[in-house]
Amino acid sequence: MSPVSPRSSLVRNLLVALTLVGAAGTAGVYVSASRERFWVNWLVWTLFLLTLGLGNLFLVALERLVSAHWSVPMRRVPERIASLIPLAIVLLLIAFFGVPVIFPWTYPAVAHNPILVAKTAWLNLPFFAVRFAVCAVVWMLFYRFYVRGSLRQDENKDPAFTVRARRLAPAFMVVFFFSVTILAFDWISGLEPEWYSDMFGVYLFAGTFISGIAAMLVGVLSLMRRGRLPEVQTKHVYNLGTLGLAFTVFFAYIGFAQYLLIWYANLPEEVIWFKHRIDGAWQPVALLLPLLHFFIPFFLLIGALGKKHPATLRVAALSILLGHFVDLYWLVFPVLGPTPLFGWPELSMACFFLGLGLLQIRRAMGRGADIPVSDPLLSRGLEWQL
Amino acid sequence: MSSGTFAVLGLFSDAHKIVEAAQQIRPRQLGRLEAYTPYPVHGLDRAIGLAPSRLGRLVMLMGVIGAGLALLFEGWVSAVDYPLVTSGKPLFSWQAFVPVMFEVTVLFATFTAGLAMLFAFNKLPFFGHPVLHSKAIKSITRDKLALSIEATSATFDAETARQALLQNGAESVEIVPVPVWNRPLSLVGLLRTIAGIVAACAVAGAGLFALEKLIPIVPPMVHMHEQPKLNAFRVSSFFADGRGMRPAVTGTVARGHLPPAFATPEEAGTLLGNPLPLTQPIAERGRKVFNDHCAICHGLVGDGVPLLSHAYGGKPGNFLSNEIRARPDGHYFGVLMLGKNAMPSYAADLDNHDRWAAVHYIRILQRAQNAKDEDL
Ligand code: HEC
Repeated sequence: MSPVSPRSSLVRNLLVALTLVGAAGTAGVYVSASRERFWVNWLVWTLFLLTLGLGNLFLVALERLVSAHWSVPMRRVPERIASLIPLAIVLLLIAFFGVPVIFPWTYPAVAHNPILVAKTAWLNLPFFAVRFAVCAVVWMLFYRFYVRGSLRQDENKDPAFTVRARRLAPAFMVVFFFSVTILAFDWISGLEPEWYSDMFGVYLFAGTFISGIAAMLVGVLSLMRRGRLPEVQTKHVYNLGTLGLAFTVFFAYIGFAQYLLIWYANLPEEVIWFKHRIDGAWQPVALLLPLLHFFIPFFLLIGALGKKHPATLRVAALSILLGHFVDLYWLVFPVLGPTPLFGWPELSMACFFLGLGLLQIRRAMGRGADIPVSDPLLSRGLEWQL
Repeated sequence: MSSGTFAVLGLFSDAHKIVEAAQQIRPRQLGRLEAYTPYPVHGLDRAIGLAPSRLGRLVMLMGVIGAGLALLFEGWVSAVDYPLVTSGKPLFSWQAFVPVMFEVTVLFATFTAGLAMLFAFNKLPFFGHPVLHSKAIKSITRDKLALSIEATSATFDAETARQALLQNGAESVEIVPVPVWNRPLSLVGLLRTIAGIVAACAVAGAGLFALEKLIPIVPPMVHMHEQPKLNAFRVSSFFADGRGMRPAVTGTVARGHLPPAFATPEEAGTLLGNPLPLTQPIAERGRKVFNDHCAICHGLVGDGVPLLSHAYGGKPGNFLSNEIRARPDGHYFGVLMLGKNAMPSYAADLDNHDRWAAVHYIRILQRAQNAKDEDL
């Protein structure tokens, strides 16, 4: 771990202060605002942290799967951001208290709704909890396997781990797609259980993936600025930017495809979901989403120069991260009503969760070397040319 | 002395050396530098002073133009030129345009990338680059890297260039002359090319014909019109009534064809007034409707003298007569909807807008023939 500079401890204290202020505000929300609003905020931010963590774990596993070299020198960053997963799992466990508040399929009135009655085989609390438990266990197992294993390799210099990590990656991919789909269906579309969209799991996956890349970019750039990644060069971040460009397009494609199919078919039970989200007061938010999530990063990243320019990359990545928040807000908050709510409850809960997440990442940033020093692919990653 | 020299070529076998040599030679401005390598060498582009390609910007520009054109075209076709309501969606439904916009963007961008790369930046058609005639070309395509100083500047001197290359580590140097084209384009060659193209087309056509018509077991293209589908006015065993075309469900009303709320033209005259304002475009529309549909019987000025005077036996109303002039607009509309004796009904051929526009135009004709002093 790098020696603690006065600036670094100042940042830490500021983050702790932010979290504490946010925590006080959050308690205030619980006491004074409506329960629905509290839990909806809680859900959005928990999902935000969880998807960033999962997206980065996915990037780690993806690198293992295809034996990529170029990203090896930067791999510690996604491994560390993945430490949001255990935090978010705890937060999601707490969110179980909110399940009977915000999920309509738990209300007693379900008995009078034939559509929901037909879905009770899937939407019932015990099964919901089991699904969550299985996902959480799987995520934690893979998290420990990839992140701990990589840290341990620093010391024991065992190349066999690299082979094992690659062998297990296909299994991770399968499990990951199922678990993210379940996450999307259970915790987001379950808020409006009458709605159908087969595509929704892929939609959340696309958002997870691209925001994972964005978080990794921000992490890599900030470590580079502090001089902690002297071996990482422009070519490495350039390639990460290229990946980011590709997956902003992927996200836009999936998002639009879902919208287009539902718009075309115009089935009442499907379109109503979009109608609540793009008409009236929600329209500005609906327009902000493609702007932040696609247009700004796309045009910043499409040229070769932008991907070599740290400031441009950072703006694109931050735009995607903000877009990811707007996305989750836009998916979840309309259950509260036809006007987007954004006031002190949202701000203080944002402070709380952001502070928590940043503190967690910061702590992880001190763990192990900044570069996977004993990875057998590291030297090829450093020599790799565009 | 540089007249016969195209370039001086120095051969290297080490990628680092050629980059270094290029960096050394470039400031001396002996001539344009060019490199020929069997595999991409990192940093060589900058060492020989190659500016970043402008292709990217061109592709971007054309991509945006493609998207814009697709949007304009689709918008114009479906909202302006042939407005047709499809499944109750707005005429200008941008959602439906996006897939096509995307395709056209990609089409424009890739074609620009390919064609501009070949023709604008690589200067095709350019048959036989002089370096292809050098002795070194075989080893360049195998394991050697070549740096060439082209005779582009007025001060070019082959000997200086040769020395410069040798001093900077070239293993051997070759002077490439400007090639002599001893086979200019001949008439025979041209005819042979044309004959070849004709023969290729003939073979392709014959093959297609044979596959499509002569060997019916392998239809290579199932045309859209050969698909199994129900045609209007054809017999079908699918429906109980044996008709391919489905009659409208009883009680359906087509858009713009509300059934009339009157039983006679007289009743219509008391019920209805012309809802359209009398404007230039509407008057012009009325003239078009009248000339297309009515003038054939009522005459171009509405005097009841048919254009088909002898063939037509009926006695079309004379709009200029006092009797018909006195009738209200609604009456005319009623006649158009219900017909009157030999006057056919226009309920199916025109929509309400065109019927009322025609009524306006009849009034205009009447006024033109009975102009008052203040109209003049
Ligand atoms: C096939 C020839 C024919 C065409 C085409 C035709 N009409 Fe007529 N129209 C007649 C005849 C015949 C009468 C006289 C009917 C009667 O009074 O018995 C008539 C009468 C009328 C009258 C007077 C009805 C009355 O109350 O006396 C109007 C108004 C009229 N037509 C409008 C039109 C308009 C507008 C069109 C074009 C959309 C049109 N007609 C096209 C043959 C035609």
